[in-house]
Amino acid sequence: MNTGARVLSIVPDKTVGLAADETGASAAVKPMLKFERVGFEYDRRSIMSNVSFAIRPGELVALLGPSGCGKTTILNLVAGFLQPTEGVAFIDNREIAGPGPDRGVVFQAAALFNWMTVADNISFSLRCAGRPKAERQQVAEEMAALVGLSGFENSYPYQLSGGMRQRVGLARVLAAKPKVMLMDEPFSALDVQTREVLQEEVLRIRERTGCTILFVTHSIDEAVFLGDRIFLLTDLKDGSFDEFAVDLPSPRDTGENRLHPSFIRLREMIYRKMRH
Amino acid sequence: MNSTALKARRQYVALAILSPLAIFLLWTFVTMQGAVPPTILPSPGAVATSFLDMIQRGYSGVGIWTHIGASLWRVGIAFVAGSVLGISLGLLRGRVPAIDALFIVPSELVRPIPPLGLIPLFILWFGIGELSKILLIFLSVFLIMMVNAQAGSRSCALDALRAAQSMGASRWQTFRFVVLPSAFPQIRTGLRISMGTALTILVASELLGGDRGLGFVILDASSFFRTTYVFAGIILIGLIGLISDRGIAYLARRIVHWEGKS
Repeated sequence: MNTGARVLSIVPDKTVGLAADETGASAAVKPMLKFERVGFEYDRRSIMSNVSFAIRPGELVALLGPSGCGKTTILNLVAGFLQPTEGVAFIDNREIAGPGPDRGVVFQAAALFNWMTVADNISFSLRCAGRPKAERQQVAEEMAALVGLSGFENSYPYQLSGGMRQRVGLARVLAAKPKVMLMDEPFSALDVQTREVLQEEVLRIRERTGCTILFVTHSIDEAVFLGDRIFLLTDLKDGSFDEFAVDLPSPRDTGENRLHPSFIRLREMIYRKMRH
Repeated sequence: MNSTALKARRQYVALAILSPLAIFLLWTFVTMQGAVPPTILPSPGAVATSFLDMIQRGYSGVGIWTHIGASLWRVGIAFVAGSVLGISLGLLRGRVPAIDALFIVPSELVRPIPPLGLIPLFILWFGIGELSKILLIFLSVFLIMMVNAQAGSRSCALDALRAAQSMGASRWQTFRFVVLPSAFPQIRTGLRISMGTALTILVASELLGGDRGLGFVILDASSFFRTTYVFAGIILIGLIGLISDRGIAYLARRIVHWEGKS
């Protein structure tokens, strides 16, 4: 590593839409998510202001930062749970107006419906869309298999371990076939082994579905292991944040990458930046 | 059930039987001493004799099942109607601020009034027949259920609501699949409380007159100092309360199977 702490978010082999399209380079790929000078106030207190970025389809961006830095607020704005008090947030070129099944959310505490079986939890979005029971059953089984929960379709969430509950949380989002997956520190309450297995699972799922993912975390390791890009947020009140491109060999879903020199280098760089 | 759970269950049942047994022994002991006149506290044997007599020959020329039936019908109809309406309105108030605003003053004005204080008014308005009795019980059940259902409808976790919305649930679907099940535990507690209250009000409402019902049996017996029959009637009402409470709790455990497990 011979440059300074700042790395530009340019991945050499791809055209990237940079922040707010100001480069005009987005002609090749339309961004899946875009923030244009987004600000958010709560109780007349500014949480963030003038935040701009663009995320292309299929990209996995990790939002990294300490508690209270506004990373979950960004996620809630994309989910439509909160509305910007200034600026505009777009998904697939449409302004985000509220929550919808095109953006699936995986919550920190899973937020499963304890009164429903695993199968009913997974196929909830299809039930809301009025799909027939046979189809719901089939999708539930498919998605349970995809996240490694085959055989647990008729269990209730409270009968599962924390890691398995998060697998259900993943499966029910995947069943809705969202354009974007929003993950809010989903593995932070799990033990290290389970967390690492599930991180690899996320990369595998991303590979298969091509889903765009916004992943909120406070763990540098997690951000580096998962992300194509990392947004390091410290204080969003002036809209500035640091951005890092991750350069790790494919396939990404191997634990070996955690020992890769690039991984260790980038982790160190981000660590120094955070401590700076 | 594994062996530890079975052992714990056995111990629970043993202790549950122990307390009524202790009361019974104390009662027997006190009355055997002859320290208390039988008109104040009759012996268990005398009460048992009256109890059997009442079962076999009825009370004041009416079969005991007619008395029980009259009471159960009053409580039953008032309990069902009061629960259905109270739960519906409570849930609506919990989810729709405008409806809550409409009802908050009237309901909070009425709620602190003891139902028994309304008896003279109800006699004036609805007479001394069935309607007064049923409405009095209905009102107390309704108010308890409304408060519990409203609180229950707000016990839903924010993340669960958000999860439903982000999976495309409409307002109705969010209510039906997330808000309502979240409210079940509190509604269950409300049902147990209001069943107990309903039986209390029943006895009082049968003060309003008439010649049927367990409340009538108790009041009539007490005015003639037939204390053994007073006790027999009280025990019957107590048994109805115990059975209905255990019934509600049993059903609720099956419906609210997830409670306390997450």
